[in-house]
Amino acid sequence: MLSTDLAEAAPTLRIDGLQTSFHTDSGIVRAVSDVSLAVRHGETLAVVGESGSGKSVTGLTVMRLLGRTAARIESGQVLLRGRDGRVVDLLALPERQMAKVRGRDVAMVFQDPMSSLNPVFPVGEQIAETIRIHRGASRAEARREAVALLEQVGISDPESRVDAFPHQLSGGMRQRVMIAIALACDPLLLIADEPTTALDVTIQAQIVALLRRLQLERAMAMIFVTHDLKLVEEIADQVAVMYAGQVVEQGPTAEVLARPLHPYTKALLDCVPHGRAAGRMRPIPGALPNPLAPPQGCRFHPRCPHAMPACVAAVPALEQAALDRVVRCIRWREVA
Amino acid sequence: MTPLVQAEDLTKDFANGSRALRAVDAVSLEVGAGQVLGVVGESGSGKSTLGRLLLRLLEPSAGITRIDGQDLAALRPRALRRFRRNMQMVFQDPFASLNARMTVGDALAEPLRLHRGLRGPALKEASGALLEQVGLTREHLHRYPRAFSGGQRQRVAIARALASQPRFIVADEPVSALDVSIQAEVVNLLQDLQRSLGLALLLISHDLSIVEMVADRVMVLYLGRVMETADTEALFARPSHPYTAALMQAAPGARRRESRLVLSGEVPSPLDPPSGCVFRTRCPFAVADCAAARPVLRPVGPGHLKACIRDGLPL
Ligand SMILES: Nc1ncnc2c1ncn2[C@@H]1O[C@H](COP(=O)(O)OP(=O)(O)OP(=O)(O)O)[C@@H](O)[C@H]1O
Ligand SMILES: Nc1ncnc2c1ncn2[C@@H]1O[C@H](COP(=O)(O)OP(=O)(O)OP(=O)(O)O)[C@@H](O)[C@H]1O
Ligand code: SF4
Ligand SMILES: [Mg+2]
Ligand SMILES: [Mg+2]
Repeated sequence: MLSTDLAEAAPTLRIDGLQTSFHTDSGIVRAVSDVSLAVRHGETLAVVGESGSGKSVTGLTVMRLLGRTAARIESGQVLLRGRDGRVVDLLALPERQMAKVRGRDVAMVFQDPMSSLNPVFPVGEQIAETIRIHRGASRAEARREAVALLEQVGISDPESRVDAFPHQLSGGMRQRVMIAIALACDPLLLIADEPTTALDVTIQAQIVALLRRLQLERAMAMIFVTHDLKLVEEIADQVAVMYAGQVVEQGPTAEVLARPLHPYTKALLDCVPHGRAAGRMRPIPGALPNPLAPPQGCRFHPRCPHAMPACVAAVPALEQAALDRVVRCIRWREVA
Repeated sequence: MTPLVQAEDLTKDFANGSRALRAVDAVSLEVGAGQVLGVVGESGSGKSTLGRLLLRLLEPSAGITRIDGQDLAALRPRALRRFRRNMQMVFQDPFASLNARMTVGDALAEPLRLHRGLRGPALKEASGALLEQVGLTREHLHRYPRAFSGGQRQRVAIARALASQPRFIVADEPVSALDVSIQAEVVNLLQDLQRSLGLALLLISHDLSIVEMVADRVMVLYLGRVMETADTEALFARPSHPYTAALMQAAPGARRRESRLVLSGEVPSPLDPPSGCVFRTRCPFAVADCAAARPVLRPVGPGHLKACIRDGLPL
């Protein structure tokens, strides 16, 4: 970040002590059991973790899109700093106001664009609809803007593609359309939940470059959810590592990847292949925890090479390890 | 010595309405006993089709496959069924490839009975030994797949593939459905087994870094055609085809360069592939001649072949 102005440095979104659970027939799934995060204007925060770690539920909680599930937001705040500088807790907003925030201030892009696009409407109409709803633009204006947006997200021949139906486009193009819809109202924050996981690498590279460019041009804040640490390196300024519903470490990407403080981050970095010379791959022993009965104390302790009795006794708190780094491990000083 | 697996000009056309879709186009390869050939390429490049052709799970439209010198096309159905014990497949999705209503013991007993004629205590003993070979225990025999984690299920699927004592295994994206922390253990297991049993392994993966770790040779496919093939070290150190270089540089975390080769556009429809070099519509180095004729696979180093007419490109 260039500016040292305090107001500039205030986060666009700040999540504090968030807990979201699902009350299911077989028990309570504490999908998000303690998440605190912050992302600033013009900055990309990667949220990285394996399946079931609570990445998507965190994003859906921010968007308040968990309505029709058995989800319960147990505690926490989701503080958004609006265009006027005022901070509101999205979790406390009435649904009518939240509906305005969605799309206009905070937008989301998902892994599978087919499930979020309506198959029976041309893509241009779906982009235009967002523009009409939030900005009250006329039909003709909205259509013109839809074409311009398609062009901005790198769709060639946008004048004719604007009338295409989702099934007539490739996976990469559909994802571009989703990005166009998300950006239609120039949101303050974009949450991209594994937007490239279903795509081929050469298309993934295009979409990542596109998101990075748009984020810089618009100075948006972006939360980029992924399970791929190597992708984190490419796209994010800050990274938060999640394990079993908790943030276990957060800090500037380059520092976290070069000098991880949490044993899980370390282990995760070790088990991605490092080329032939590096020899055998080093897996993390054991399996991901059962979400209905997560381990006591530190949730990583059954798989952690540094675990000791105190790790089982209590859930470690998120500790400040440096000015801009936090870690949830009682032994981080010895381990790092 | 002839290599265990040999294919010459394997080609597969799928009927698609009135048109034919050429999924695999004149692919030749060899995999020796104890060798790993990695096959990489984007979605739709024909990797799975190639694997299925080699195992004769699909009839080729043209071309020959020989396993241990035996031309598979020359086998009558009964003989082919018997021959199948020599070649097995491990699939991407360990959840779909196991029958949920069968215990692990039953799942292993089936191929042991069919291919090795085992019964009674010998069958039980062999099932237990297979599980131990993949790092599980005999207690697991009575459990159902749902009681296993993804990594354990993939171990069971590997044990099942090993039951007939095959000499050739096609592993089609064996770890793509698994979490990162679990992938490494399955990759290590596959590699250990392949080495200790001297298996020929065709490893299909879109993850270049895994292929780089495990494979002795690599083949790069694009729209059903071989773009480049070489020993792993040579391919990663000196990619010679623009597509190989682009694929490597597109992988996240690839060594940064001042100018990264970024491909524009998307893979063209396989129903209407470009003339000449199929890669030319996305190739930053394409010249007029690239459209004229299909580039032949030609040597650029020992055992290193590429299908590109240009040389000395800044890759
Ligand atoms: N609607 C639901 N009902 C019950 N449990 C749910 C529901 N949605 C998610 N969960 C559970 O919440 C936990 C967190 O899920 P979440 O989808 O956030 O994980 P994730 O980190 O996004 O994983 P992935 O990488 O697989 O997308 C998981 O244990 C999941 O099974
Ligand atoms: N049974 C079939 N009938 C018609 N077309 C098919 C059939 N199987 C595959 N194809 C086509 O053949 C081409 C190659 O497919 P294949 O599944 O071999 O690719 P792949 O490289 O394994 O891709 P992926 O990475 O997505 O698994 C594709 O265009 C596909 O649509
Ligand atoms: S033959 Fe031409 S188009 Fe094909 S890869 Fe080589 S330079 Fe590119
Ligand atoms: Mg998710
Ligand atoms: Mg495939």
